[in-house]
Amino acid sequence: MLMIRAIIRPEKVGVVLSEMLSADYSAVTKLDVYGRGKQKGIKVGDVHYDEIPKVMLLCIVNDEDKDDVVKIIMKNAKTGKDGTFGDGRIFISPVEEAYTISTGKPGL
Amino acid sequence: MKEVMAIIRQNKVNQTKEALVKDGYPAFTCLKVLGRGKKTIDLSIVQDIVDAGEMPISPIGESLTESSRLIPKRFFTLIVEDEDVAKVVSIIIDNNQTGNPGDGKIFVIPIEESIRVRSGEKNADAF
Repeated sequence: MLMIRAIIRPEKVGVVLSEMLSADYSAVTKLDVYGRGKQKGIKVGDVHYDEIPKVMLLCIVNDEDKDDVVKIIMKNAKTGKDGTFGDGRIFISPVEEAYTISTGKPGL
Repeated sequence: MKEVMAIIRQNKVNQTKEALVKDGYPAFTCLKVLGRGKKTIDLSIVQDIVDAGEMPISPIGESLTESSRLIPKRFFTLIVEDEDVAKVVSIIIDNNQTGNPGDGKIFVIPIEESIRVRSGEKNADAF
């Protein structure tokens, strides 16, 4: 199992979530986060913003579904044809165990 | 070290907290999150309440009426030594199980390193 953490633009959340739902990857957790990237935030005039609001989507998938989910997020979280700075990032890390609380059973 | 990450019901946080501190795991982090699970949920009952204006339009109401339909949950996470994982998982399951869908999920994730900010102690010493 793998955990996909995607940090995306808040305005792109709706489309990403509905695309994931239609591709049958419905399980997802959403967190509001603030952060900056390699571009050191944005500078508007004299004001420097380095805590930019983003949304983190967290979903745990089976290894074979990873590429599919990443592709969906990539495709829908992009702004413009080639993407823009600030579209976000996707991180993937291993998950060793998963349990469903209602049944107490291991597995996704 | 492992991170035990649980997504649980909002009203179960206190109970989980107390049970964990009783067994010697006082350290944890909790976040407010929105999410959805594998099952499609029939939210028509909630929709009636929202329409009738009985539910506050706070983020909760908003998240239920928007197209993506997410449910508010608490994201409860703690970092423990490898041998404690099974125990912590069973405490969380015991205290959060109502038997209904929506009780949440637990994930166990490996942690490479932990450092205490105050003293710079690493790994086991940092606990």
